[in-house]
Amino acid sequence: MSYIELAVTTNYSFLRGGSHPQEYSERAWTLGYPAIGIADRNSLAGVVRAYSGLDQIEEKEGGAPRLLVGARLVFRDGTPDILVYPKDRAAYGRLCQLLSLGKLRAPKGECFLDLADLLAHREGLLFIVMPSKQPENLTSLLKSLGSDTWLAAVMPHRGEDRRRMAALSRMANAARVPLIAVNDVLYHDAERRQLQDIVTCIREHVTLAEAGTRLQVNAERHLKPAAEMARLFRNYPQAVAETLRFAALVTFDLGKLKQNYPHEPVPPGKTADGHLRDLTETGLCVRYPNGVPNKVRVLAEKELRFIADGGIAHYFLTVHDIVAFARSEKILCQGRGSAANSAVCYALDITAIDPNVFDVLFERFLNAERREPPDIDVDFEHERREEVIQYIYKRYGYRRAALTATVICYRSRSAIREVGKVFGLTEDVTGKLADTVWGHHGDGLSESQVRQAGSDPANDVVARARHFAGELAGFPRHLSQHVGGFVLTEDYLDSIVPIGPAAMADRYFIEWDKDDLDTLRIMKVDVLALGMLTCVRKAFHMIDTYSGAPPLELATVPQEDPLVYNMLCKADAIGVFQVESRAQMSMLPRLRPEKFYDLVIEVAIVRPGPIQGNMVKPYLKRRKQYLADRNTVFDYPKPAPPHDPDELKYVLHKTLGVPLFQEQAMKLAMVAAAFTPTQANGLRRAMATFRNVGTIHSYEQPFVDGMVGRGYDPTFAQDCFEQIKGFGSYGFPESHAASFSLLVYVSAWIKKHHPAAFAAALLNSQPMGFYAPAEIVRDAREHDVPVLHPDAAFSDWDSTLERDAQGVLCLRLGLRQIDGLALKDGEAVMTMRGDGYADFADFARRTQLGRRALVTLAEADAFRGFGLDRREGLWAVRRLPDDKPLPLFEQRSAPDQGAEDIAPLPQMPLSEHVLADYRTIRLSLKAYPTQFLRPGFDAEGFTPCARVGDLKDGSFVRCAGVVLVRQRPGEGKAIFITLSDETGICNVVIWERLFENFRKEVMGARLLLAEGRMQKSPEGVVHLMASSLTDRSADLRLLSGEILAPVAGHRHPRNVRILPPSRDFH
Amino acid sequence: MWLPRFSTDRLKRKDASLSEGAPLVVAGRAGNALHVQALDVRAHRLGLYKGQPLANARAMVQALTIIPADDRHDLKLLEQIAEWCDRFTPYVAADPPDGLILDITGAAHLFGGEAAMLTHVTQKIEAQGFTVQAAMAGTASAARALAKFAPGHIAAPGAQAEALARLPVAALGVEDKIIAALRRAGLKNIGQVAQRQRGELAARFGKSFVTALEILLGQHDQPVSPRRPLPDLMAEQRFAEPIVAEGAIAASLLALAQSLSSVLEQRGLGLRRLGASFFRADGQVRRLDLKLGGASRDAARLMRLLHEKLDALADPLDAGFGFDVIRLEAMLTERTEAAITSFDSNENAKREIQYLADRLSVRHGEARVLRFVAQDTHIPEAQSAAIPAQARDFASQSQWSPRRQAGDPPLRPLRLFEKPEEVSAIAAVPDGPPLRFRWRRAPFEVMHAEGPERIAMEWWENQKPTRDYFRVETREGQRFWLYRDGLYDQSGLAPRWYMHGVFA
Repeated sequence: MSYIELAVTTNYSFLRGGSHPQEYSERAWTLGYPAIGIADRNSLAGVVRAYSGLDQIEEKEGGAPRLLVGARLVFRDGTPDILVYPKDRAAYGRLCQLLSLGKLRAPKGECFLDLADLLAHREGLLFIVMPSKQPENLTSLLKSLGSDTWLAAVMPHRGEDRRRMAALSRMANAARVPLIAVNDVLYHDAERRQLQDIVTCIREHVTLAEAGTRLQVNAERHLKPAAEMARLFRNYPQAVAETLRFAALVTFDLGKLKQNYPHEPVPPGKTADGHLRDLTETGLCVRYPNGVPNKVRVLAEKELRFIADGGIAHYFLTVHDIVAFARSEKILCQGRGSAANSAVCYALDITAIDPNVFDVLFERFLNAERREPPDIDVDFEHERREEVIQYIYKRYGYRRAALTATVICYRSRSAIREVGKVFGLTEDVTGKLADTVWGHHGDGLSESQVRQAGSDPANDVVARARHFAGELAGFPRHLSQHVGGFVLTEDYLDSIVPIGPAAMADRYFIEWDKDDLDTLRIMKVDVLALGMLTCVRKAFHMIDTYSGAPPLELATVPQEDPLVYNMLCKADAIGVFQVESRAQMSMLPRLRPEKFYDLVIEVAIVRPGPIQGNMVKPYLKRRKQYLADRNTVFDYPKPAPPHDPDELKYVLHKTLGVPLFQEQAMKLAMVAAAFTPTQANGLRRAMATFRNVGTIHSYEQPFVDGMVGRGYDPTFAQDCFEQIKGFGSYGFPESHAASFSLLVYVSAWIKKHHPAAFAAALLNSQPMGFYAPAEIVRDAREHDVPVLHPDAAFSDWDSTLERDAQGVLCLRLGLRQIDGLALKDGEAVMTMRGDGYADFADFARRTQLGRRALVTLAEADAFRGFGLDRREGLWAVRRLPDDKPLPLFEQRSAPDQGAEDIAPLPQMPLSEHVLADYRTIRLSLKAYPTQFLRPGFDAEGFTPCARVGDLKDGSFVRCAGVVLVRQRPGEGKAIFITLSDETGICNVVIWERLFENFRKEVMGARLLLAEGRMQKSPEGVVHLMASSLTDRSADLRLLSGEILAPVAGHRHPRNVRILPPSRDFH
Repeated sequence: MWLPRFSTDRLKRKDASLSEGAPLVVAGRAGNALHVQALDVRAHRLGLYKGQPLANARAMVQALTIIPADDRHDLKLLEQIAEWCDRFTPYVAADPPDGLILDITGAAHLFGGEAAMLTHVTQKIEAQGFTVQAAMAGTASAARALAKFAPGHIAAPGAQAEALARLPVAALGVEDKIIAALRRAGLKNIGQVAQRQRGELAARFGKSFVTALEILLGQHDQPVSPRRPLPDLMAEQRFAEPIVAEGAIAASLLALAQSLSSVLEQRGLGLRRLGASFFRADGQVRRLDLKLGGASRDAARLMRLLHEKLDALADPLDAGFGFDVIRLEAMLTERTEAAITSFDSNENAKREIQYLADRLSVRHGEARVLRFVAQDTHIPEAQSAAIPAQARDFASQSQWSPRRQAGDPPLRPLRLFEKPEEVSAIAAVPDGPPLRFRWRRAPFEVMHAEGPERIAMEWWENQKPTRDYFRVETREGQRFWLYRDGLYDQSGLAPRWYMHGVFA
């Protein structure tokens, strides 16, 4: 007896289904189904996951159920739900178009369909009509749908199943359609009923206690064995048999979906391949004016041949076109990604990585057996990427270009919030629980986290909420547009996948995400935004303006400037692309970069991959040897004859024998273990999905055997594989690192030679990078850049450079630094300024700013240019009428506000000014908050941040400062905290196991006291290894000057935001 | 007088054990979060504060006794204290949420002067178990400010402004926004504010701020608000000669009810709560309070309810030397339709039931007259709940049980046993109906059966097994509702069978 379930709702029917598509795939396999139909609610979003689930089973077991792709159409006109399954590719296209139609006329996330729409797209579709709980007479509907129609029969265990079946059977007979057995499945296993109840509650915004009959009455809606279905339908065996007949009619296979790339215009008489070849040739000649090196020529030839074989020339031409557009508009951009890793892309100006210098490894996708779609990501300036996107839309139209989706999933934080609510926990409790989760990390809450949040882990409700939050984590919540992944086609895209509107106007995205597209081998172009590119362009522009030198470009920045490398060796890298992170900054003095390739290594080495693969220490050891003696000859393990004894040297010599890049790991496999390109590619994919699937172990034996077979030492072979395993998906490809390194160098060069412009550009490109404006400003001042407070009389919206009386270049902070000031108000201040404002009254009259904006400016102390300090400014602003005067009274209102002769207000103490500065512009140029606390700190014996490094290595130290950055690298065993005070910064490290004890302090403190041993490396890198942390945030209230006021009736200082929260990275 | 620990003191008076053990916190709900609404001195010393999110407080102090806020009880007690304070002066006002204002004009000399009185009053209140801060001043708002920020102070006539000058601006008792603005301007105490020009302040904070300031400084007067809430409407009759006779009282009540009714009619209002006050010639007052299930202004009906109430009083109305005033007060009114008897007999029947419920409730107490409402749940025995018949909004969203289509047999029995009775049954596995069963020692043979109707229990409440319900008809024609407790494959044991109800 066989059976196929056709009514399956996955969790891609958001907040309806209780199981992942893959779970259905696996259960269908264990139940021995010959096929399984997935039919989500007006959506195809989950089918690819089910498909790849089955694909993996196929790979592992040598056989798997077939996937039937369908959708459950839910109508807005009262028609009962209908499951539709396309018979063939053409019908599938019509289904996609039907869903796109419904989505486009509805707001984001919804789909409006009428029966008439279905009838218009009916050709080649099979229908299963799902009767509602109280079946009405469906005969006429069944008749109108025609011959490829079935009537679904469910055994819901509702007491009157038999009578219901009899009624359905009569209806089916009357309409001459067959009955078909389904179980209208909501979850793969009966156990999931509980989670399904919870998602129902989330959907209905009720607690479990309130949900009542909104929940399913029992746990029957899971995938059932064929025998059980046969037993339930023992009086209607034909209904079960129909499922097989139905499946046989469906020939459509998702795996055969083909995409055709947009046909880039090719000059008449040329083929796409020929055109690409010509462009490459021209490009290479420009790149190498002194003759194309042989290595590059051979490489390009090989790549072009591969591109021709794969028929993907159009893809390269498409990317070329987009990049050419950006260049013509002077938008900075840079390509990366697997296919960007090529001589062709260098020739086409997509990347700046010279294939003559770097090993571009086309094998990453050069795989004839199973073609991966080529993948090129292009970074654009983040503020101008929109122009590129608009260009793409204009060029291809909305039916041929759409963004990929991003599946927004429940994370620990959101899951505990939602699940807690369902269990009736109040938001303050769930909020507290959620706050203990660090970023996206964590596979659920630990008991200690629950305790930290002030809840009792043994409490039944809390324990349950915690458990189910863990189960819910990873469930898709909704689809959102990917930041810039474009799918482009020659034909209409909406016959490949449904397209719907995004939240943004005139933005559309498909239902599949990047992994889905990879699975189906559909190509996309990533149009990404990179803040540093914006920053570089802005800095270039400022430098061009004041220097009078020829305009700067990425390519014309002087190369290999020793001053730049000297600066980096001192870890003076705040604001510099990539290497400004804590871990990078501590690596710089050890690695001591002195040429461009060192930066490439620097970027790649501080990654979880090399760190976990234990490659950092060996590399640094060799680097030290090398720096001590440049002629050091390193040993490379050798294979047995007749193999080339230097084969490993070729692969690894650039990184001193330690594999640091993904390419090297693969080359190692191909050269030393004699993997075929197919095997190597499999290895790469296994590396990428290491955490999820664990297929990497299947490569272990062939790898070790391969190396041993070629005469390598077995221990060495095993070590190599361990390193590759440690790589996981976290290794960097070399070309990727090289692309980034170019920006590292350029940004470091600007910082070195034009610190004022650099700081201004960074501030004007926020949010980006690791550091808050306060640190950028502080760093600029330490580099002797005078910084001026934002001032309504002088500042633009952006930070600007101005020369003071002595002609020194100063950084004038922009009005954008002021929290809560709207762009339009800032622009009004700029545009109305003309030759300057006479005084405050003149300013208020001409700018016509609202009361709110004026208060914001006054609180930010931005009226000093008019001779008003913060208090006087606020006092003056309060006197102005509440709202803008009507135009008619505009003139009359001015004299009403005559001069006022009032006594001066009490002076504001400096400490209060500083706090107010922090509250409003998140930094203060007047003083540092800790400065006022120093006498107390001294008395307690705290060491100022900058002096920590002066102590002896290993000495015990207590240091208090404002928390600037908290960082927990991906899989790191330690948490990095940067403290700062008026003297400088101090780097605190706390080990993971201690972190659990001090979670509250780490997560919550604004002012933190760290106690522990000082650790100093020979290169002078200083860390405070904390053994204890104390939250001293309450000390900050000493600064407010209100400490003497009685306590009653005051807001607690913790409720007052004194300092901006730290920035956290994960 | 300010009772800074009022809520926690109230709880501790009721339950002395709260004074020991963990610090006490009263939690109130603001929006969707709980926060600390009141706290005792021990909690205060640990750094907790009013308005703190409760979760934060719990994170700071693990061992806390947390009791939900009960504003109604707080207010009631405050009123009681105000009433109790009339021994000091007849002019007492509660100043919610935690203050009292006593107008002691002409009373202080009875206690040996102002200072002695202040000590006396605070001691008396403290003896009742309340923390209290008190102060005296020429106006209520000044006294309130001093009590909070300078307890014990007695502002001499004319020295009020001076006494207030050193208090922080928070003592002004104005919006937080204004207080923050004053602080930002560096004006941190009332003296500094008072020195500014009035025009300067009015231009920035409005005229009402200046008025409030002047009231505080004693330059304006503000009346003390009366203690009892004023009725929406009232009708009263004063008698030259106090009346004693029952008949006369009844006649007076009827007249008052009719006049109240006609005013209500004019305004299109109906009564939801009615107060009746009987003022005895010797100064004693008796108050009655009646609730109505639905708004009404029918004088006859009001009279019926009044009589019902008077008859049911535990201590009957004692006219003593007679009443000199009788008053009816409409304490709560709402808009109602004109009282036209509907032609819809259902509608009329509903109204009659409402009247009956009112009368029964008045006589026996609200909590004793109940009605069933449908509950939204799958669990059969939980599908109805009893609530006071007079409770508002009893119309529940949910329907009674699955609705049947015409011709279908009933899915639920007419009688549902409160406690299902175990039966022994023989049935086909895995989900067949019982073929034979014994119930109350009698054997039954099943002729017809329908089912199963599978109902899973609420898993978050308990781990009870899923039930399979069957409607069965026995050979004798009786119809029962039985269920098997648990599914066959869920446990190794054979599931038990229960009888849960009987169809008609």
